[in-house]
Amino acid sequence: MSRSPYEVLEVSKNATQKDIQSAYRKLAKKLHPDLNPGDKQAEEKFKAVSAAYALLGDEEKRGKYDRGEIDETGAETPPRQYYRDYASAGDTAGRYESAHSFSDFGDTDDIFSSFFSQRGRRQQSGRGRDAHFSMEIDFLEAANGAKKQINLPDGPPLDLTIPPGTRDGQTLRLRGKGEPGFNGGTAGDALIEISVRPHPFYRQDGDDVRYDVPISLSEAVLGGKIRVPTLDGAVNVTIPANSNTGKTLRLKGKGLHRKAGGHGDAYVTLQVVLPQAPDPDLTAFVEGWETGKAHNPRRHMGG
Amino acid sequence: MKDTELCRSLEIEITILDTWIEHRWLVPEERDGARQFHDSDLARARLIQDLIGPMGVNEDGVDVAMQLLDQIHGLRGRLGLLMQAIRSQDEEVQRRILALIDEEH
Repeated sequence: MSRSPYEVLEVSKNATQKDIQSAYRKLAKKLHPDLNPGDKQAEEKFKAVSAAYALLGDEEKRGKYDRGEIDETGAETPPRQYYRDYASAGDTAGRYESAHSFSDFGDTDDIFSSFFSQRGRRQQSGRGRDAHFSMEIDFLEAANGAKKQINLPDGPPLDLTIPPGTRDGQTLRLRGKGEPGFNGGTAGDALIEISVRPHPFYRQDGDDVRYDVPISLSEAVLGGKIRVPTLDGAVNVTIPANSNTGKTLRLKGKGLHRKAGGHGDAYVTLQVVLPQAPDPDLTAFVEGWETGKAHNPRRHMGG
Repeated sequence: MKDTELCRSLEIEITILDTWIEHRWLVPEERDGARQFHDSDLARARLIQDLIGPMGVNEDGVDVAMQLLDQIHGLRGRLGLLMQAIRSQDEEVQRRILALIDEEH
């Protein structure tokens, strides 16, 4: 008899989606096979935890499971090759694993010293130092990506590609554009810290972007199609009739690039705006509009 | 595989792959000026995705984790060779080494 996904994740049946996510994070950090290279059991446990999360982390699937429409195995996923399988087999050809930090395992005169430090196998060479810079860019340049140039005190200007979805405080790296190496070593990197200038109306909220969009009184009362700006150009949005100030619409996928792929969403909050100049027809209508006079929007404030 | 193929398998955009390479989380082989990725790079990229996504590790955290993991694999490799060398010795030598390690505790 296999354990229920709730037991695997060590949460109760009425746990919130947030509880389930944080329980999964806690277990995943402990059990991920790549964080436990020598532990065979970790893979089995991680698989069980991932399968449980695949089921419970998805509200729709969780509902189906709770109603007994699917069992705890859910959908089959193809077996996965973990990085540790390659690293242990030596398939990474010395590109990643590092042995620089074990040189203290042997004295310099020790016959084993070269075994841990790899001295004698490869000529000691040094990588050049990294050079640090900072740069200010516009919100839209950060959101959509851009090509910029950095002027250096000495040497030619550097071309810098700002990737879409760059965040304030993020550091970009130009490989080999730092100080030169010695003894045939590689050059250091240029590290550019990016600060993003705030935008007049777009506000960043994680991967999402939030902003207010004004609509006319007619659009608010009657609804209809309006043009709404987004990070990568205006789109048509249909607003329902009787849309009030404060109503928020979600434009799926119109937010910022996510680090792990995909996009966040845009949240557009409507603001009803009266015409600039008083309109005699509107004034006449409202003067004769009895329901409007009886409407007290401040009732909940005790007004 | 080429970078486009790698991005398709991971369902990420090429700019994300570029930043991972800029961070040296991935170091592809260069052949005729083009980046070449092995299955090991794909597995490594999946680990990076796990760290960033479900585990909620931030960029600096991934830097630290990858550096420590690379050290662990370097250490495991060296330790494996050392064990092989010890195993190829006479039983008497193996016993003496084991006795010395036990004494240290």
